[in-house]
Amino acid sequence: MSYDLGKITETLIQGKVDRLTELTQEAIDSNAEPAKILNEGLLPGMDNVGEKWKNGEMFMPEVLRCAKAMSKSMDILRPRLTEGELGSAGTLVIGTVAGDLHDIGKDLVGMMFEGAGYKVINIGIDQPNENFVNAAIEHKPDVLGMSALLTTTMPRMGEVVNSLKEAGIRDQITVMVGGAPVTEEYAQEIGADLYGANASTAVDVTREYFAKAKN
Amino acid sequence: MKINQTVNNSTQFKVLSENQIEEIFYSALEVLERTGGVIYHEEALELFKNSHAIVEGNRVRIPTTMVEEALNFYPRKITLKGRNGKRSLHLQKDTVAFGTGSDLPFTYDRKSGERRRTSYNDVTNAAKLVDALDNYDFFMSHGIVGDAPNPQTYDRHQFMAMLENCTKPMVLTSVDGEGLEDLWKMGCMIQGGEDEFRLNPSFVAYIEPISPLKNDRTAVEKLLFAAEKKIPAMYTPCPSSGATAPATIAGMLVQSLAETLLATVMCHLKNPGMPLIMGGVTTVLDMKQSSYSYGAPELSLASAANTDISKWLNLLMFSTGGCSDSKILDEQAAAEQMMNLFYSYLSGANLIHDVGYIDHGTNASLESLVLNQEMMGMVKQFGKGINTDDEHLALDLIEKQGPGGEYVTTDHTFEHWKEWFLPKLQDRSDYETWVKNGSKTMGDRVKERTQHLLDNYKPEPLEEGLKKELWKVVEDADKRHA
Repeated sequence: MSYDLGKITETLIQGKVDRLTELTQEAIDSNAEPAKILNEGLLPGMDNVGEKWKNGEMFMPEVLRCAKAMSKSMDILRPRLTEGELGSAGTLVIGTVAGDLHDIGKDLVGMMFEGAGYKVINIGIDQPNENFVNAAIEHKPDVLGMSALLTTTMPRMGEVVNSLKEAGIRDQITVMVGGAPVTEEYAQEIGADLYGANASTAVDVTREYFAKAKN
Repeated sequence: MKINQTVNNSTQFKVLSENQIEEIFYSALEVLERTGGVIYHEEALELFKNSHAIVEGNRVRIPTTMVEEALNFYPRKITLKGRNGKRSLHLQKDTVAFGTGSDLPFTYDRKSGERRRTSYNDVTNAAKLVDALDNYDFFMSHGIVGDAPNPQTYDRHQFMAMLENCTKPMVLTSVDGEGLEDLWKMGCMIQGGEDEFRLNPSFVAYIEPISPLKNDRTAVEKLLFAAEKKIPAMYTPCPSSGATAPATIAGMLVQSLAETLLATVMCHLKNPGMPLIMGGVTTVLDMKQSSYSYGAPELSLASAANTDISKWLNLLMFSTGGCSDSKILDEQAAAEQMMNLFYSYLSGANLIHDVGYIDHGTNASLESLVLNQEMMGMVKQFGKGINTDDEHLALDLIEKQGPGGEYVTTDHTFEHWKEWFLPKLQDRSDYETWVKNGSKTMGDRVKERTQHLLDNYKPEPLEEGLKKELWKVVEDADKRHA
């Protein structure tokens, strides 16, 4: 058996979900280091996809297909990677706040994070404040994402931030908020760390934030 | 199995009913029998004298039978081939092509923001953009070559400026019959002889009468030459409702049609079977500014009605859209251009010209050409109508994704989203992204795109040998008129 990391990159860019899973498995079977598959096979592929999206050469249905391919490969790789090797590809817990039944925005953010190699736990819509806190305790995510599409449900996000403080875990977690009526200013006002204006910038903003934190 | 089904493969649009068209047609025939038109051209008058028409001085009155006979001889299809060798433009019923207008004396200077006289170079730049932008199917010069050595030969220089950077079929203006003859000779050189040009014409000659019901010497000279050589030509009345035509749209359409029908008889008497195209820039005179309006909603309405009439008569139609009265490319320009683009397209006119005009047909703007590329794309998308077959009704998919499901990652979306219009200049980003990208207006983006195309687009060059031959015709004309 042999493996070709270039082929993995190329297949990921083409968004061939099943083929990429096969190639990832073949690489593991050929004793390729999992970290090498991630860093030299998959990540350069997703970087390329991200670049193409920004330049208007790729569009959402295509990008999401690549993200799905990435996610399926990561399912195989993740158990074989150490915490350190996972690098920036951490865990995201995401949901829509209580009283709000909007799905697609947070789903898109989740998919984009999966595309970046994240493990994504989507707790769903209309989630009471305590569910966010409980999920944070249970999954110990790097990022907790909250979405609100209505001006009437926006205040729930600030309440969750306060509940995290009360639970004593606020500083162990990075809070990101988003949704059409939300702004950067509002995010700061309620004490969130990050604001994602849309699905693509959410990932970029998070990456920049952790890169800065490292330095 | 289903029976008695009708499917619309495109959107449907019509202004006039068949009975209304008949009313207008009978009225135009009545105008030709009762009022007639005037002609300032000896040969044409002679042709009418030798027919059943009545000629009194310059006034010609024409019996209906002559009109009906002439109408039988005009083609329902003309195919044009540009110098790129593609028979790209099929003029036939409800097949629409977009193109620029011509001969604008001024140009909006992109650096100074002021208007100045149009030059040869401005026309080559317009040619480049039209060649680059795929929603333009044909090219009229946009600007007029104002720096030709002699205004009497500007048309040959203009054709060269157009040919230099544009490979698409064209619509050409000419100074007079002699000018058209030179242009035709040049066209024959490009297509490989007279017979080839007849089968594969590379241009249509633009000719216009003077409303109301007046045919001047040079217009008729060009028309008769076109008839003799069977050069495709449009004879396009430009009446202004309330000034050179009745203030009612119906009255303007009657008069405009009478002008067209007179030309059909005249060409038929000269040489039956020339490829004549019906035309008409039918609009109102602005009663406050006394200007001929290119942005009036009445232009859209009258033009669409005129196209209805042309289709009923089995004549091809030269119409108007994408033009504005605004002095610069601004909100007014976009609003007016979009409206007349939209309705001219839906009407199904064959050649829609004047796309990109600003300042009621006096000012050329390269940026306007670029903005209209985007707007034409939007309009064409609307024209596609809606597919309602099983694949497009997507019942199985709706069932599969269920309430609260999503469609963005489905194969169905992956396969069908590309049927949508893909904006190149419209901004649909969220506010933060827009700010991050420099808070650019449509105008800013249009400017950048225009500069980018001018800097980077390389049209197929005109073959050197042919270019020399063509210039020889131009130089000979300059010598004759020196």
